[in-house]
Amino acid sequence: MAWVEAAVGVTRVERPHEKRGGALLLSALALPGVVPTDANAQSAPDKGIFEAQYLSYRDWQPGRNRMKVDAPAFYALMPIGDTWVVEGGMVYDSMSGASPLYFNVLSGASVGDYRTAGDIKVTKYVGNQAVSVGAFVSSEQDFLSRGASLNVQYFSEDRNRTWLLGVAGTNDRINATNGVAPNSTRNSVEFVVGITQALSPSDIVQSNLTYYTGHGYYSDPYKPLDTRPSDRQTWAWLTRYNHYFADADATLKLGYRLLLDSFGSTSNAVDVAWAQGLPWYGIAVTPALRFYTQTAANFYKNPPFPSGYVDGDNYSADTRLASFGAITAGVTVAAPLWDGWNVSLRADYYRQDPDWQIFGTGSPGIQIFAARWFQVNLTKNF
Amino acid sequence: MAGEHEIHIAGADADSARRAADDAIADVARIEAKYSRYRDDSILSRINAAAGKQAVAVDDETHALLRYADQCHAQSDGLFDITSGVLRRAWNFRREPPHVPSHAELAPLLELIGWHDVEWDERCVRLPRAGMEIDFGGIGKEYAADRVATILIGHGLRHGFVNLGGDVRALGPQVDGTPWRVGIRHPRAQDVALAGFDLVDGALATSGDYERYFDLDGKRYCHILDPRTGMPVTWWQSVSVVAPLCVVAGSCATIAMLREADAPSFLDAQGVAWLGVAADGTVLPATR
Repeated sequence: MAWVEAAVGVTRVERPHEKRGGALLLSALALPGVVPTDANAQSAPDKGIFEAQYLSYRDWQPGRNRMKVDAPAFYALMPIGDTWVVEGGMVYDSMSGASPLYFNVLSGASVGDYRTAGDIKVTKYVGNQAVSVGAFVSSEQDFLSRGASLNVQYFSEDRNRTWLLGVAGTNDRINATNGVAPNSTRNSVEFVVGITQALSPSDIVQSNLTYYTGHGYYSDPYKPLDTRPSDRQTWAWLTRYNHYFADADATLKLGYRLLLDSFGSTSNAVDVAWAQGLPWYGIAVTPALRFYTQTAANFYKNPPFPSGYVDGDNYSADTRLASFGAITAGVTVAAPLWDGWNVSLRADYYRQDPDWQIFGTGSPGIQIFAARWFQVNLTKNF
Repeated sequence: MAGEHEIHIAGADADSARRAADDAIADVARIEAKYSRYRDDSILSRINAAAGKQAVAVDDETHALLRYADQCHAQSDGLFDITSGVLRRAWNFRREPPHVPSHAELAPLLELIGWHDVEWDERCVRLPRAGMEIDFGGIGKEYAADRVATILIGHGLRHGFVNLGGDVRALGPQVDGTPWRVGIRHPRAQDVALAGFDLVDGALATSGDYERYFDLDGKRYCHILDPRTGMPVTWWQSVSVVAPLCVVAGSCATIAMLREADAPSFLDAQGVAWLGVAADGTVLPATR
């Protein structure tokens, strides 16, 4: 009895054009349910990812070094079967230095703390949908944040459009080491609706609208007299657009974010990045520029501290709530190594200046603030 | 559907295998009920009953099958014709003594054959002449087998095969990774395997002159009928085809029987693996 070697060529139904001929096969693929597209959930990643990252952050104001953060982080994504994906991350930050300085009069409370945070997300792909359930926790000496999220993605039949609906809830517990506001809590819920649309093989646009509402302790316990509203709502609208230039092997990435905050501040951010593939060893260089501007919260008071403070009213002298503009300039260099490993190096420089506020005037009396990041990423695809 | 059917599942616990198989069997039963010629309430019966009269509305699935049948018709230069089932009225393979229909008996039936005359679109189909009929022989059972594999895979199963009346679709290898070895029946000796194919996740279908036939005066008359003459094909005893989908394997095997001497070039052009037994018992292609 002759066994015929015919096993070759019968696999990979999903790429019939790779094989010769086969007019009937191409026609048959149009029959409903003969290929497991639904069960395969083509959008489910079929490769795992492991990533190790090290971030080094320093910031300073004229003549004064402030905060240092060193943060190693790990992330892993693992497909399980064809329709499940589990992903999770861990980060460990160690911070040291002065807490943010708002005016020379005050010496900031010294910060020497570390933070451990982790999150896990499980996604199930079912037909044209994916449902993700996630949980995260972040713990510091004086702060514990826990939350859970539920996201539903809906993919169009041609996979060119993805709808996103999501909800997340967070519970924070604040227990400042200085005894201010002991056992305070903050609870919030966030809703997101979004769409991602491939306009052409080289154009993709994404737009997300996020509503956040929270209640609880929003003040900064380490800043004297800091009193903020106990309710906060924000609306954030984020739109991104990427265009790939095939001739140049480059991608233009544009982004815009508008954020309206019930604290009274409005912020605008514009991102521009150019990811340029180089003709050597698969190296890509991505210079990026971000311009950010925000108006002050309506209870922010200009220096000198504590001018404008009225007992019983909301009050903050935190310069993060002031009116200013900021520019971030950075560059990322990424290169494939071997055996599925990739490395990327990233450097960013951030500079914040009240004079760069373009919607109105910047808050007076605050100093220029600058920061830099270095980040190393090692990624393995398997 | 005639013949023996089997769903073979490995590498799963009994409960989940049973649940998956129940879903799959329910879908086979659904397709059988929907496309049976023998049930008055099937969509095929309604289409056929309206021949020469009104158009009948069809759903997406039926339209997809009609479109595939149309492709088979085109790829076979008209030999694969889902309107040729009317020839069964003249060919009765169970009749004793056997009877070879005369030209006079066949001529009016040949008038009723002609897929290219059928009016159809996304929404409906109309058979233009009273007495015309369509059936999904060579497609329907094989389509069901592919759907069974999809349903089992959807249940997370990765090892097994489905066998619907001799048409086999694998959904993955054996648990140890080795292919399923599927034997091809000798067309002249029941229970003797002539050859075999290794299947991992594709399909094997066979069309042969031994399914329904009679022998008369030393000549084999089988159920695969040339729509141009109304007479049985004689070139092959059987043709077996391996393709990624069972519906492709099945229709290619049937078309190969109908194309007779042209079968090898047709099968090669379709990019499928195949094994044919010619009328004299020669196994082709000889090089394999």
